[in-house]
Amino acid sequence: MRINDERGPVRRSLDTLYDAASVLAAICLFLMLVVIALQMIARWTGTPFPGSTQYAGYLMAASSFLAFAQTLNRGVHIRVTLLFNALGPRSRRLVELWSLLIGTVAVCYLARFAVKMVYWSYKLHDVSQGQDATPMWMAQLPMAIGAVILAICFIDNLLTMFFRGHDNIRSENIEQSHAE
Amino acid sequence: MQDFYLIGIFLFVLFLLLGTGVWIGLALLGVAWVGMDLFTLRPAGDAMMTVIWRSGSSWSLTALPMFIWMGEILFRTRLSEDMFKGLAPWMAKLPGGLLHTNVVGCAVFAAVSGSSAATLLTVGKMSVPELRKRHYPERHVIGTLAGAATLGLMIPPSLTLIVYGVSINESITKLFIAGILPGLVLAAFFMIYVALVSRFSRDFHPDVEPPMTFSERVSNSRFLIPVILLILVVIGSMYLGIATATEAAAFGVVGSLILAAAQGSLSWKTFLESLMGATRTSAMITLILSGAAFLSLSMGFTGLPENLAEWINTLGLSKFELLMALLIFYIILGCFLDGISAVVLTVAVVEPMIRHAGIDIIWFGIFIVVVVEMAQITPPVGFNLFVMQGMTNHQMNYIARAAFPMFLIMVLMVFVLIAFPDLATWLPDHMRLGPGG
Repeated sequence: MRINDERGPVRRSLDTLYDAASVLAAICLFLMLVVIALQMIARWTGTPFPGSTQYAGYLMAASSFLAFAQTLNRGVHIRVTLLFNALGPRSRRLVELWSLLIGTVAVCYLARFAVKMVYWSYKLHDVSQGQDATPMWMAQLPMAIGAVILAICFIDNLLTMFFRGHDNIRSENIEQSHAE
Repeated sequence: MQDFYLIGIFLFVLFLLLGTGVWIGLALLGVAWVGMDLFTLRPAGDAMMTVIWRSGSSWSLTALPMFIWMGEILFRTRLSEDMFKGLAPWMAKLPGGLLHTNVVGCAVFAAVSGSSAATLLTVGKMSVPELRKRHYPERHVIGTLAGAATLGLMIPPSLTLIVYGVSINESITKLFIAGILPGLVLAAFFMIYVALVSRFSRDFHPDVEPPMTFSERVSNSRFLIPVILLILVVIGSMYLGIATATEAAAFGVVGSLILAAAQGSLSWKTFLESLMGATRTSAMITLILSGAAFLSLSMGFTGLPENLAEWINTLGLSKFELLMALLIFYIILGCFLDGISAVVLTVAVVEPMIRHAGIDIIWFGIFIVVVVEMAQITPPVGFNLFVMQGMTNHQMNYIARAAFPMFLIMVLMVFVLIAFPDLATWLPDHMRLGPGG
């Protein structure tokens, strides 16, 4: 794999993958608003809307997992960076590599079992317990896809860090803190 | 005995991973995996996925991205200018003058925003330059803003309370309503502090505001109408039981979009920015919640939280002593972790303790929010300090020192809450429970 400064084809397609997933995630968030609004309208007008809370929940999970990768590269995921700032450049790089390695292992583990979950839901024809009766594999699929993309993103960052000495995380400090 | 060994391993792995900069959600995942794989016979991976799916796709969690989105939209409107214009004429006559716009502005914006940093950014965008222009002492401008912005976490909506409610399976609406009175009391304390500062501080010589007639002031208040309408819709619908927390948040999003459109600050670009920003922020919190959900499960299997709660029980601590111990524990934790992480990390262990001790779980939510508010302004890791640093370019130490009196006021607030628990429990006990809580 060749990773060069002028955003080679690999870099470009990976970034496109993360961005595309996050656009899907944003669409899920918007659809969630629509579902919640429809649910209220249904209640006021007395029309049944079975499974609305389940649908909102599926969209919630889909939106979060699909956005994970881009959220990582924008530096929005929180971490404690006190040690980084206290270290010299060489040891700092080692610690950053270590934390990326741990993260990669954890996320690959997550992705493996997310895929396995969808596979078994499909095999066993698992159906939602709620009124919606959605096949579970359909509801869970975006989560598994998001987890796999996050795993790719972590491996990507680990390799970039290893070969080029920096990762792809460009933090926007102000945005990170919007959560608190 | 085995428990102490277990606690030792949990803590060691946790501090190792967190300290070396592993992303917090993934660090929790790692600790949970170690606990599950070494100390139980359950297959860790499948149990992990089940619990992550259940927590990640839960209906109560959907309130989180909605309130975040609402804040993102409002941040991009002219709301902060309008609030300053509407509030300033009323504050000018009070002892402490326009410094009160920091506190009151934060309290008002907190009622439409669930985040302390968003409150700080939105209110500070206008009040910091305006107060500087009028020669208010810099230290007090910064200190009161950094402190008062933490009201964003207490006055509903509140992201911290959503996260707490989801973690312990309690009604988020109830928690929100519980935060109203303590939030107002805390705001009143901040205002008293501002008044005292203006009397006793020697460098307090701001420019005097030009006099304004009563009718001018009333007419300036029209700028406050949109934000007040929004507050009434969001909090009112929850209190009257018309809407659940999520539905109130959806009202809020639609209302904010209408407000932005009416002001002419809604464009395709700001709409997309707010949506993408909300998506990322909520994804960030969900990752932490996923890790924490697995950690709770793992610790539950080891039986650690229950044993710890029983052990604390045998110590025969009074409620007050237990709360003091927790207060000190959370203040220390808050120096190094952000509020949401501190809550989800500890809730699995602390919840059984609280229930054993007979402490009201809704009341404890408010207690924890005050403590998390302190964490926002304690160095070295305090989000309001970071945000303030980005906004004013002051040294972190300077900001932390300026905000220290507000920290002490929050400690005072903890004791007030302990002395008058009704502050937090009276309103939720007297509200109408809506559809599905």
